[in-house]
Amino acid sequence: MNTSIRCDGVTRRNFVRVGGLTALGLGMGNFLQLQRATAANPLSSSSKAGKAKACILIWLDGGASHLDTFDPKPKTPSEVRGPFDSIGTNLPGIRISEHLPQTAKLMDQLALIRSVTSPFGVHNFAAQYLMTGYKPTPALEYPAMASVVAHLRGQNGVLPANIAIPHLVSRDAATLGNGFLPNSTKHFSLGSDPGKRSYKVQDLDFYQGLDLSRLDRRRKIVNAMNEYGNLKSQHKGPSDPDLERAYNVIASDEAKAAFNLEEEPSKVREYYTLDPRANVHDSNNIGQQCLLARRLVERGVPFVTVNNTGWDNHLDLATYANRNPGDLRSASHALIPGMDKALAALIGDLKDRGMLDETLVLVMTDFGRTPKINSTGGRDHWPNCFSVAMIGAGIQGGQVIGASDALGEFVKDRPITPGDLSSTIYTLLGIDPKHELLTPDGRPIRVAPQESEVIEELLG
Amino acid sequence: MDAPAPVAEVKSKKLDETVDFKNDLIPMFTKLGCNAGKCHGSAIGRGDFKLSLYGGLPETDYDEIVRRLGGRRVNLTDPESSLIFMKPAEFVEHGGGEIIDDGENARLLLTWIRQGAKYIEQRQLKHVQVTPNRFIANQIGELTPLKVLAHYQDGSTRDVTNLTQFAADDTSAVTVDSKSATAKVLRTGRHLVIARYSTEVIPIELVVPISAKMIDHSTEPRNNFVDKEVLAAISELRIPVSPLVDDRAFMRRITLDLAGTLPEYRQEREMRELNRETLVDDLLASQAFIDFYALKLAKLLRIHSKIDKNRVNTTPQAARAFHDWLASQLRNGVGYDHMVREIITATGDSSVYGPATFYTTVEDARLQTEFATEVFMGSRMKCANCHNHPLDKWTQDDFHGLTAMFAKLTRSQVIRINPFGKNIHPNTGEAALMKIPGGEFLPKDMKDGRAVFSDWLTDRDNPYFAKAMVNRLWKSLMGRGLVEPLDDFRSTNPATHPELLNQLADDFINHGYDIRHTLKVIALSSTYARSTNPIDGNYSDNRFYSHRVQSPVEPEVLADAISDVLGVAGNYGNEPPGTRAIELKDGAILSDALDILGRCNRTKSCEGTPSPIGPLAQKLHLFNGELLNSRIGADGGRLDQLIKSKKTPMEIVNEFYQTALNRRPNEQEVKFLSQLFNDNKTSVQQRAALEDFVWGIVTCKEFVTNH
Repeated sequence: MNTSIRCDGVTRRNFVRVGGLTALGLGMGNFLQLQRATAANPLSSSSKAGKAKACILIWLDGGASHLDTFDPKPKTPSEVRGPFDSIGTNLPGIRISEHLPQTAKLMDQLALIRSVTSPFGVHNFAAQYLMTGYKPTPALEYPAMASVVAHLRGQNGVLPANIAIPHLVSRDAATLGNGFLPNSTKHFSLGSDPGKRSYKVQDLDFYQGLDLSRLDRRRKIVNAMNEYGNLKSQHKGPSDPDLERAYNVIASDEAKAAFNLEEEPSKVREYYTLDPRANVHDSNNIGQQCLLARRLVERGVPFVTVNNTGWDNHLDLATYANRNPGDLRSASHALIPGMDKALAALIGDLKDRGMLDETLVLVMTDFGRTPKINSTGGRDHWPNCFSVAMIGAGIQGGQVIGASDALGEFVKDRPITPGDLSSTIYTLLGIDPKHELLTPDGRPIRVAPQESEVIEELLG
Repeated sequence: MDAPAPVAEVKSKKLDETVDFKNDLIPMFTKLGCNAGKCHGSAIGRGDFKLSLYGGLPETDYDEIVRRLGGRRVNLTDPESSLIFMKPAEFVEHGGGEIIDDGENARLLLTWIRQGAKYIEQRQLKHVQVTPNRFIANQIGELTPLKVLAHYQDGSTRDVTNLTQFAADDTSAVTVDSKSATAKVLRTGRHLVIARYSTEVIPIELVVPISAKMIDHSTEPRNNFVDKEVLAAISELRIPVSPLVDDRAFMRRITLDLAGTLPEYRQEREMRELNRETLVDDLLASQAFIDFYALKLAKLLRIHSKIDKNRVNTTPQAARAFHDWLASQLRNGVGYDHMVREIITATGDSSVYGPATFYTTVEDARLQTEFATEVFMGSRMKCANCHNHPLDKWTQDDFHGLTAMFAKLTRSQVIRINPFGKNIHPNTGEAALMKIPGGEFLPKDMKDGRAVFSDWLTDRDNPYFAKAMVNRLWKSLMGRGLVEPLDDFRSTNPATHPELLNQLADDFINHGYDIRHTLKVIALSSTYARSTNPIDGNYSDNRFYSHRVQSPVEPEVLADAISDVLGVAGNYGNEPPGTRAIELKDGAILSDALDILGRCNRTKSCEGTPSPIGPLAQKLHLFNGELLNSRIGADGGRLDQLIKSKKTPMEIVNEFYQTALNRRPNEQEVKFLSQLFNDNKTSVQQRAALEDFVWGIVTCKEFVTNH
């Protein structure tokens, strides 16, 4: 396959640009993109669904406790209820953790799925199932949804189509990759945390003494050597596509600017910060990570993963809510309030910019935590029943889908598998879940698994 | 066992014999998926009904079915109102839906109840035979009927096909119709179906040749048993083979593979005299081989220092001591069995006595069991921590019995025996008895079981130890294991070439577990010498060796190769200047260069873990980072020296081609590069163009892969 030609017949090279923020506002790219999505992936229903251009996945790495976030059980004994209270939301009858006060005010826009279920209680398999929609098997490595979206949408300009903030290596990196899809669809990790003072995406600026013409000559030399040398490529296509992509990013000032948070007014940066009294850089990093995700999506990046680490806390639950900035006694320091603030700020910001309807925001995690608190005051892995939140992309907000049983142990109503989630997410992004990808040896594989079902209530 | 009295008589004529709980009913539950991990086989059961995973504990299951819930699951007076029948037949609500929909299963279950719902085990299963267990179909879509025969201790046999569960490893390649027990292959290649009856799990291999016409491989050289086995599989699958490489390409390949370094360029005259066997012998006798294979073993054993007050520490001295010890074993040609025996039985101060570091690498005795079995047996035993392994023979007693040995060690800088150390068995709540995996329990009063374990492990009849190692040696030369992943040997994940694996293991054992010997056997096969360039008809083959796998040069080796080509040494932590990356003795030594090139940090298994750095980030660094830019034109480096010695640009080009690629530039390359230097004639321009050329040669595919 010649990857430089898109399905709509336009050569990608003709459109080396940064993305949505062109003089035309929406930009030519989005127009073509919409056209392509519609042509290649006809949606069966005439619903509003399928117009999202981008997805921001807030990944709570390590397994967030459903009981202490989106599915509290206030009436259970303390060894299940845990140390936190619950609060009401703007959706009558629905309560969430007391440490999610801002999310509580967004419940009328948010869809909560409280009946996600998976058989995998170890991180790598669990994360793989959630991120790919497929149960892991040794027979085939499935691509993460982020890679599938990057593959089908293509790179919209020079920015990579699949970006991870700050990185995706804390767990088993193997499970979160591009699977059988080309390497170019693998996530680009910033390798630097936008929430830290030292934040700077590595290697975007020229090395001393070099300039663009030198780098251009270097890539031409490599291409010539790859073409004339003794090693025949085992794949078809350009000799080193990753080198081309890196060159294009370096060659674009706008691409570099996309990663620069300093370009955001300080008011905006503070808006995403948990405790405005503290320095922007000192508080929980997830806010600035979400702000950067918004900047990237605004510039046409179709999939951004915000990887928020530290949720695999088997010990004292109370540290999840600790609000003292700079208190780093625990890796799970202030994770719940931090996520609350970041999510609310991101939603508010996307809405103000008129982007919420075309951006799907997901809050997902490896699995839930054991309903019964363990002897060290923490909770262990629990995949049988847990929660996922979705907002934006024109979904029907203000609803809770499915339910867990009295103790939050098992699904009581409407079990939802990670496969169903992937089917739904693809549909919301305008990709037909039945669309088939080809493995390198020519096998057709559906983007979402055969047995998965779209959660129709969400589509509005 | 005290069972309810029999009530009803047998009604069905077809099933007039007694229903055997263990041999009939439990397999039926397995076949229907009732006791799978996602249903009632889960660790806490499902809907307050818990069965042992795949029926591993039939007596417990009997209790659960007949006695629990006030006996409501079984109704002897009215069998059809038994919950155990009403639920799966969905006469009452069942979370798992209607499972029993055919007469056969329902009849079996009801007959058992009518016969009194007794715990009956009429016969003891010896083994299960599947026919065919290997089948070569002529074309896609051909149907293969499967038959399963159970052999019992009393010598009797029985057809249990309808009580066997069949599952294709890859459902897009094979489908199995469970009613008729017929498999259908949907794609060419070699595929697997797993048959499960009672506690037995048997793999069935189904093959459809890749091409329709026969291919004659009779004239291909067969240097030793490796070629014989590889060509047999290739012929069966009808895949054409790529040609063999010339001496120069062979030399680069084998030098990178055995010495972890680029070959020194030899003139044509010397090349004409090259003898491949002598070359292999020389490489195996070199210091570079010791350095490189010590590094490989160190990665396998995850040697890295770690200092953290909340964890088990490994001091930098201990990491180095272990690495040095491995190197000395290789230097002295010690057999791998002796090496491992010493590692497993190690006690003493790890900062002085390297092998003791094996016991500070992971945090506790259970992790030690996982670590030891993955490394030395190629077996993932961790599932058996919580339940008997669903796809393998390992039981919880195996897991916790081995752990009980490791629990008797002090896990600190000095490894000692702690007689009070114990491992609580999760099933009994008491200290687990020491046990040999799959074998006997050790006496309760034994102080240290490790010697018995290592005797068993390194015995020539041990079915895991030698195979796990030769599979790793095979991968290090061939780019892919005969079993993949390397640490996941089990009957349900068979080797691509089982007979080759057996022969390699036997040959390894018969030669005193000599790593060099096995490497030499593989290196001198014609299979090893095949070109990486695919030809028509073998592009999609990635496991039958019709062409060699193109493998990326390992990060440490690549770092050294870059240093050698540029003529400027790398810098690694506080190591003395001139230290090579493959000589680094501790995975924790800091190096941005190695991180960029994607090294494994050794905190987890290094096998199968892809580079944590993505391709884009890596290329950005090559363009704008320190790794190449700070060294290409550096004072005293190769380029700088050549320029100062007044060589012409094309002479310099020639020198770099020889050093980096072990060849001279070809006609097209000469033409392209001459043009480059014709366009850049001033000395400043020329130097810049040369720097750009050198950047290109260490970035191009031919340099960064072994081929």
